[in-house]
This record gives sequence, C-alpha cells and structure tokens, in this order.
Amino acid sequence: MSLKPKIVEFVDVWPRLRCIAESVITLTKVERSVWNTSFSDVYTLCVAQPEPMADRLYGETKHFLEQHVQEMLAKKVLIEGECCHSNGGPDLLQRYYTTWMEYSQGIKYLHQLYIYLNQQHIKKQKITDTESFYGNLSSDAAEQMEIGELGLDIWRLYMIEYLSSELVRHILEGIAADRASNGTLDHHRVQIINGVIHSFVEVQDYKKTGSLKLYQELFEGPMLEASGAYYTDEANKLLHRCSVSEYMQDVIRILEYESRRAQKFLHVSSLPKLRKECEEKFINDRLGFIYSECREMVSEERRQDLRNMYVVLKPIPDNLKSELITTFLDHIKSEGLQTVSALKGENIHIAFVENMLKVHHKYQELIADVFENDSLFLSALDKACASVINRRPTERQPCRSAEYVAKYCDTLLKKSKTCEAEIDQKLTNNITIFKYIEDKDVYQKFYSRLLAKRLIHEQSQSMDAEEGMINRLKQACGYEFTNKLHRMFTDISVSTDLNNKFNTHLKDSNVDLGINLAIKVLQAGAWPLGSTQVIPFAVPQEFEKSIKMFEDYYHKLFSGRKLTWLHHMCHGELKLSHLKKSYIVTMQTYQMAIILLFETCDSLSCREIQNTLQLNDETFQKHMQPIIESKLLNASSENLAGETRIELNLDYTNKRTKFKISSALQKETPQEVEHTINSVDEDRKLFLQAAIVRIMKARKVLKHNALIQEVLSLSKVSFTPNIAMIKKCVESLIDKQYIERTANSGDEYSYMA
Amino acid sequence: MADDPENSVDRPTDDGDASKPEKMFTLKKWNAVAMWSWDVECDICAICRVQVMDSCLRCQADNKRDVMGRQDCVVVWGECNHSFHHCCMSLWVKQNNRCPLCQQEWSIQRMGK
Repeated sequence: MSLKPKIVEFVDVWPRLRCIAESVITLTKVERSVWNTSFSDVYTLCVAQPEPMADRLYGETKHFLEQHVQEMLAKKVLIEGECCHSNGGPDLLQRYYTTWMEYSQGIKYLHQLYIYLNQQHIKKQKITDTESFYGNLSSDAAEQMEIGELGLDIWRLYMIEYLSSELVRHILEGIAADRASNGTLDHHRVQIINGVIHSFVEVQDYKKTGSLKLYQELFEGPMLEASGAYYTDEANKLLHRCSVSEYMQDVIRILEYESRRAQKFLHVSSLPKLRKECEEKFINDRLGFIYSECREMVSEERRQDLRNMYVVLKPIPDNLKSELITTFLDHIKSEGLQTVSALKGENIHIAFVENMLKVHHKYQELIADVFENDSLFLSALDKACASVINRRPTERQPCRSAEYVAKYCDTLLKKSKTCEAEIDQKLTNNITIFKYIEDKDVYQKFYSRLLAKRLIHEQSQSMDAEEGMINRLKQACGYEFTNKLHRMFTDISVSTDLNNKFNTHLKDSNVDLGINLAIKVLQAGAWPLGSTQVIPFAVPQEFEKSIKMFEDYYHKLFSGRKLTWLHHMCHGELKLSHLKKSYIVTMQTYQMAIILLFETCDSLSCREIQNTLQLNDETFQKHMQPIIESKLLNASSENLAGETRIELNLDYTNKRTKFKISSALQKETPQEVEHTINSVDEDRKLFLQAAIVRIMKARKVLKHNALIQEVLSLSKVSFTPNIAMIKKCVESLIDKQYIERTANSGDEYSYMA
Repeated sequence: MADDPENSVDRPTDDGDASKPEKMFTLKKWNAVAMWSWDVECDICAICRVQVMDSCLRCQADNKRDVMGRQDCVVVWGECNHSFHHCCMSLWVKQNNRCPLCQQEWSIQRMGK
C-alpha cells in the first residue's frame, strides 16, 4: 500500500468505511484485515488529490453518528410507545446504562480508527491553550472536534438532553429506595445508577474547563435539593421521638451512612457538598435543640454525650461551638473555685496546689478522651485555670496563689522522707500551675527568699533537685527571671569549694583552729536577705582567730573584695562541760557569744552582757529569750533588760546530750510576707517606669492608649500591672521630665531627650 | 552537715580530753555566713549607672552567663581610687584617658578578682 496521495472518489470509499464504523460503534466483531484497510481508507480520504476530503469525511461521520444515536434512543432506550410513561420507568435506567456502556466503548474504538483525521486534520485547527486563555475565541460554530469528543457531544445532545429529566427522576427514586432500605439496594441496581450518574461526567470529560458543568446542572443540583428535603424530614421525625442524646447518636449514624451512600453513587466532587447539606439540615438547623441539654451534659460530665456533641459540632464553623466551650469553661472554673476557696489552715499552700492540679489533670484527661485534644478546649482549660488561680478573694485583698505555689515548692525541696523521683515529678507538675500565675514576680520574690533560707540553713533535700527547679523556671520564664536564683545557687557551690581549699590551707600551714569551720560567702546584691544592715556586735575572741585566718586567706585568693559577716545568720555548736554530763548544743552566734561570757563568772546583768557584746536591745531580747526558755540560763525577772540578773543554771539536765536552741529566725512572720509584697510593688513601679521610658525613647510620640498597650505587652512575662499604677508612673515621669504631654493634644506624650 | 540531734541521744562526748583542764564552754563548730562586695567607695558605676555588684549594663544586655564566682564583669580601681566596671572603663579610655569623676589621668591601681 502506498502512502502517496491519490485521486479517489469519496462515494467509492465512504460506504465501505461507514459500514465498518457501524460495526465498530456497536462493538460487532471486525476482521483484523478489514480494520487495517479502514485505517488506510481514512488516510486516503484525508490526503486525497486534488482536494483533501477530510472535511467531507468529518461531516459525513458526524451525520452518521447523529443518526446512530437517534436510532439508539428510539429503538433501544425508549422502546416504542413507552417513551414518557412512568410504567416504563424501572427499566429506563437499565436500558440507558446498557446503551451507554456500548456506545462509550464503541466511540473509543472509533476514535482510534479515525486517528489520522484526529491528529493531522483536527488538531491543527484546534485553538491552542494560549488562544483560549486570551479569549480570542472565534465562536465558530463549525469548529471541528476529534471524533471521540464529537461522539460524546452528540450523545449529550441527542440522548442526555432528551432524557435528562426522566433519568434524574429515576436516579433520585433509586437513591430514595436505597435510603428507605437502609442501604441494602441490590448491587446490580447500584451499579446501574452509579454508571448513569457517571455518564454525565464522562460525556464531558474531554473538556479542559467546566467538565463537571453538565453533571452539576443536570443532576447535582436536584440531587442536593432532594436530599436536603429528605434530611429535613428525617430530622423532624427524629426530633419528635428522641432525646438530645439519642438524636446526636442517630445523626452520627446517619452522617456515616450518607457518606457511604454518596461514595456508592456519586461523583467524588459531590461528596463534600452532600455532607455539608446533611450537616446543615441535621445540625446547623437544629442547634437550639442540640444545645438545650448542653449545660446538664457538661455539669454531669456525660462523656459519651459530650463526645457525640463534639463529633456532631466539629464540622460546624467555630463560632457555633462556642456555646459548648463556654459552658465547659464555666464548669471547670466553678469546680476549681470550689476546691480552692474553702481552704484553711497551716498547709493551705499544699492543698491549694494539689487540688488545682487535680482539677487540671482531670480536665486535661477529659479533653484528650472526649475532645481529641482540640486546641479550643485546651485553651478553655487554660483560661479557666488562670482565672481560678489569679482570682482575688475580694477586690481589696491580693491574690495569694503566687505565695502558695512558692511555698509548695519550698515544702517539696526541704528535707523530707519523700523519695527523689516523686519530688521531681511533683516539681514538674508544679510548673503547670506556676504557668498560670500572673504575678510571676511575686512568686519570684517568695521563691528566692525561701531558697535563700534553704541554702543558708542547709535544709535542701538535694542540690540536684534545687538546680532542676531553677532550670525549670528558667525554661518557663527566661534567664532574667532566674538570674539571681542562679547566682545564689552558684555562691553555695563556690563556698563549698572555698571551704575545702581553706581547710587544706590550714593543714598545710599547720594551724589548728580547734573548731569545725564552715563558711558561706554570699554575693552582695544577689540574696534577698531583707535588711542587710550590719548589727553592731563585738565578736568574742573565741571567734576572732577563725575570722582573721579566713579573711587573710580570702584576700589572698581574691582582690578588691571586702567581707561583711552576717552574724545573725550564723550558727554553731557549743560544747558544755560545766554540768554533770557534757552536752553539745546547736545555737546562733549571738547566743554562743552570750553563753561564752559565763566561762569566767556565774552571774551577769543584762546590761553587762549587752555592753560587752555591743548588742542592741532588739537583738539581745530576741536571742536571750530562747536561752532562758531552754533553761541553760536563769533570769531573775521576766523583763530581760537593765539590772535583771542572768545566772548559769548548774542543775541543768537533759536526757539528750545533743540538742538545739530553737530560734525565731527561721519562722516566717506576717510582717515578712507584707514586706515581700510591698517590695514587689516597688519593683513593679521601677519596671514600669523603665518600660515607659524605653518605649517613649523608641517612639518619640505616642497616644496614651497605645502606650498603655505597649507597657502591658512588655510586662506580660512577669506580671499584669493595673492601669492606675501605669498612670501613676507616667505622672512621675512627667514630673521627672522624662516625657511631657504634647501641646495640642491631651492624651498624647512625647519623649524629652 | 549538722548531725541530726535525735540520733545521738546517748553518745558519750569525747572522753579523751577529760583529763586536761577543760574550759566550761568550747566551740565545736561554726557555720558562718559572710557577704562579699567590692571594696569601693561608691557602689554605683558612674559610667553605666548600675551597681558595681551587678554586671554592667552591656553584660546584662548580652545575657552573659555568670560563670562560677562571676568573674567576667569585674571592678577596676584607678590611682585616684575611683572605681568602675572594668568593661565600662575599657570602653571609656578609648575616647578619653581620664577618670570620668576627677579628670585625673587614668591608670589602673588594681583589678577585682
């Protein structure tokens, strides 16, 4: 066979070709040789001399297909006389489906047969993507399509357009039947309905844009409408016979069935739309009903119901879930308030933290179990906890949570019999509560004071635990927050080192001080030691040597430093040998000094003691009292001043040979708490003033409200200032001429360089 | 450090030195607490206006970690006996080799350690 164009008569070739085309499209068997010849027939016509006959071939083929489809419609699908009668119904879908299966397959083969025409003749005329993009579409009605596409288009035109309303009606009936039979529709039937529905898509599949348009207009719209009506109806029925709880269960079940049904019948693009319709009708339209028992469900913590409600409401836009969340938040809040408000007694701080933790854990677990750890619910939990923890008992009273939480840490970190792993766990939990505290600066004050006491009096359970806690705080609040705590901690470890070196030094230089010396050297400024003013004290000569040796050594080691001895924080052991048994007594330095005076005499007046030791009245009283109470010394009068005689009690006995004179020092007094809170206020004022200056320096001019906002965001990490305090700070900065009010506007400030 | 007093109810105290003429009261142990600070006349650095015991303003801003004993932001004394943060002063002398307080020629007398 030659590929050379030749002169042919169209009428000679076409009848033969048409005959083959007919066989192909009806899926009748075609001999391979005939199939092959037909290829060359198409080719010959397309390249015929003197004029190619491609256009004519196209025209004839189109005509042939039109005829064929119309014939199929009449003979195979409609069957005479039954065209629009409903009794022909059940089989219409079946007939359409069979015909479509045949035709859609046949047209694919035919497309193959015409491949030369498609590729050489028609592709050339096709509008390129760019052209269609720029829209210079010459709406040339006679635009030619590839044969496959042409065939599908003809099907749409003559078959679907004609039958559409009938088809859709039958399909919807089919779906309704499936719903009525709980999804047990005969498998074959499902396949037919599915096929018919998809034919609406496939027939336009070749289009680059809007290939779903036919499907959507013809079928999807009516389908959604019908489904919507069905859903509304169902919802009404359910509403009449179920409680909220049952309703939600049913809705979840129906949603599940409907989505499975949609997968069974519909094109994927419809699945979300149908789902949305379903949610709209069952949930969104019935929110009032669903919420009607929300309060009870939350307050009784009916997990299954809450879970269902969450599942049901989840797809609905967020603002609608708010009612559930608000109710939930209120519930946690009221439970939290209930568990912490009634607390009383010595261990209020422990109960406070542990009760709050219980509440937090419980709801955290509930959110994980019921609400899939949804962030909206977690933030509701956070809000609820924060509002409980930061609540002031009354407008005037300060919130004491920060103090409680700090004391709770103190209890944990002090020596106790609890095992270390447990303490560690509790400290970690404690951070959970800590994070909710707004007054973090108050916490820091209390914590650092308690830490100082633990470190100085060596009450810490373990230094590892101390360090761990400081690191946790650092993680939560940053370096600034724990800076001083770190320095305190470091001082103690440096001191241990120093003591060792000092003792080695003593040994090397053959000095025996005769006492066991342990000295802590603290860094000024890092320790919250309250009033650090030095109380005048004439150091007894028994201490002097030790002090001198150490100071000499220290100055050799460091330069430019001076040491101040904090005698009110020192304590030691004194061995008493004047009695029948000898005793070892732990007491404070001042007390040791007092007792040492009795080495040489058995009786002294208060005035004499005070004069010798240079002690002021307050210090003297505070330290003398416990000695008298311990009965080591006797006083001639209750008034420990002036000429009152103090005598050594030579009849003293104690069944313990080692004991301790209690000191009032370690107990926290209410004044101390007050003092802590006041000093926090002072610090806040300074912080706020610094913040204002910093902001104004950067901004130069700023409105009052904008300034307040910036100050609030700067101070958020450590505390929440009240607006009045910020205003006061602004005033004082205006007085100090850091900033001024701008001339033309009352609520604007400008920075003065 | 301190032994728990409860645990040693009936422990006899050192009998060994009973023969010696003994004092009535003997110091056995002393846990002392002292505070160190720079030996300065004015405890605020005149250059950065921060207490000399704290790190200087720059070091604070850089969040320099305090290494053991905080030796990285020390104090320096001039011959005039005025003292500043070493960090502050070493920047100052680049511009003006005089003590900012008394205008004497700056020369270092000693450094804190």
